[in-house]
Amino acid sequence: MAAASDRRRINAPSSGTSAPVFARTVKEPGYLQSLRPARTRRPNELRKTFLQTGIVPSASGSAYLEIPTTSTPNSKSTLIPPTSSLKITASIQGPKPLPRSAPFSPSLLLTTTVKFAPFATRHRRGYIRDAAERDLGVHLETALRGVIIGERWPKSGVEVVITVLEGDEDGWWGDAGQESASGMNGGGWALLNVLAGCITVASAAIVDAGIDVVDVVSGGVAAIVRDPTARNETERKVRILDPSPAEHQEIVAACVVGYLASRDEITEIWMKGDVGADSDGLIEGATYAAVGSVGVLKDVLLEAVEAKFKNQAATTSKEGTKRKQQDVKMTG
Amino acid sequence: MALPSIALPGTLLGPATKYLPGPGTHIHNAQIYASIAGPVVSSPSRPPPPSSKPAPTPKTNAKSKALPLLSISQPNPTNDTAAGILGVGGGSGATILPEVESTVLARITRLGARFATAEILVVNDIVCASTFQAMIRREDIRATEKDKVTIADSFRVGDLVRGVVISLGDQSNYYLTTAQNELGVVMATSEEGNTMFPVSWKEFIDGRTGRREGRKVAKPF
Repeated sequence: MAAASDRRRINAPSSGTSAPVFARTVKEPGYLQSLRPARTRRPNELRKTFLQTGIVPSASGSAYLEIPTTSTPNSKSTLIPPTSSLKITASIQGPKPLPRSAPFSPSLLLTTTVKFAPFATRHRRGYIRDAAERDLGVHLETALRGVIIGERWPKSGVEVVITVLEGDEDGWWGDAGQESASGMNGGGWALLNVLAGCITVASAAIVDAGIDVVDVVSGGVAAIVRDPTARNETERKVRILDPSPAEHQEIVAACVVGYLASRDEITEIWMKGDVGADSDGLIEGATYAAVGSVGVLKDVLLEAVEAKFKNQAATTSKEGTKRKQQDVKMTG
Repeated sequence: MALPSIALPGTLLGPATKYLPGPGTHIHNAQIYASIAGPVVSSPSRPPPPSSKPAPTPKTNAKSKALPLLSISQPNPTNDTAAGILGVGGGSGATILPEVESTVLARITRLGARFATAEILVVNDIVCASTFQAMIRREDIRATEKDKVTIADSFRVGDLVRGVVISLGDQSNYYLTTAQNELGVVMATSEEGNTMFPVSWKEFIDGRTGRREGRKVAKPF
């Protein structure tokens, strides 16, 4: 474990801390299952998205994305939320001159860093990036490399720094104890949702930074889940958009894409699980989900640009006086 | 087709046969698209079409004269009152890079036998967020009698120099030249630390002590 070798920081217990187990879940076997969240959205309905650009003053561009949880607790008797929400911040450093040691580069050098906050998931993360985080970083870099026009920025580098404040979960917390019994097929489904969020929020931050891109890239996820209520075998596999892993007992396959909506191009694709024959359908579903998030993205960017230029026109005349007002005097 | 007032990256602006692509745009399938977010500006192109277009179209000069230049204006980077929930400076964006032929202001940081090192502070009247390393070679200091130039009689560490970028240079340095009358040292301090005034094309004078020091002096406007 990465955290075990990290001797410079105060680390959490290596086994993680476990939430209290209430007596009622042990006494009544059916009670725990009654807490299980279920998807209330239609198969092609996305979760609501909150997006805001320009949140980090020192960065040249930044954005914050939040996909709140949709399920409400079935019962009022527990305080544990049924599903987690997704909260991601992105900040762009640069374009800035390359360090002295770097060789000459005629185009923009892109570096992506994805880091989960230690408190982002139910299992505490270490402070040093682990394999999953590095993997997400590489996927994100692929998604962004295809849209950035690097030749406009010779001899410079740009850093895309993503912090996941709260990540989606791989499954429902109630299943965590009986992982072997339910036969989880690998897990790690949440990473796909996180990657889609990372692509969308990084795209917003890059546009905020004013870096040349060919189109606004956005991320989307589609999944094939097994529906336990269906009658026959053929109806059991359902394709859904924007899955929330905690709401499904078994996910068969999932796919995330980085999609350029106005060009109809895909810059990044990551498929996972037993897709079967209909891989195209799954990819298509993911692009639909990406089109859904690009709608939010464009509205937010348009709003930000309008505000930016309106503000600029208004302040050019009285810039000096306004700036003085905004200075805060520290006393005491 | 009417131009949109505000464009986002990927917004179709018009066919490349009717417009010229300016800063902030790119060409895809013979159509001009926006590549940054901002207001669309269509300006009648000047008689000599600017050579530093990002993606020059393959067409004759005679034809391109009539075409308007499409560009996306960037927010002014020095204006830190740009939008964002924090009010000031929230993602003001728009960094600027030195390009070939851009006029820069640089501060001399080191003197060598063959070249002087400087850091670029201002590019085309826009203050940079971060400085860029630059180099002025001895043969680029002045236009005449290049072989008689010495670095020590042209610059001192701390001088402010107006120069022109002649090359993006190697991995770390941009190459500057001061080989024009208008280029050279614009502000200098004497060894005592007093501000000096230019008295000739090659000398500054300390107003307090009256001592003269050699510089490659920029012609005052």
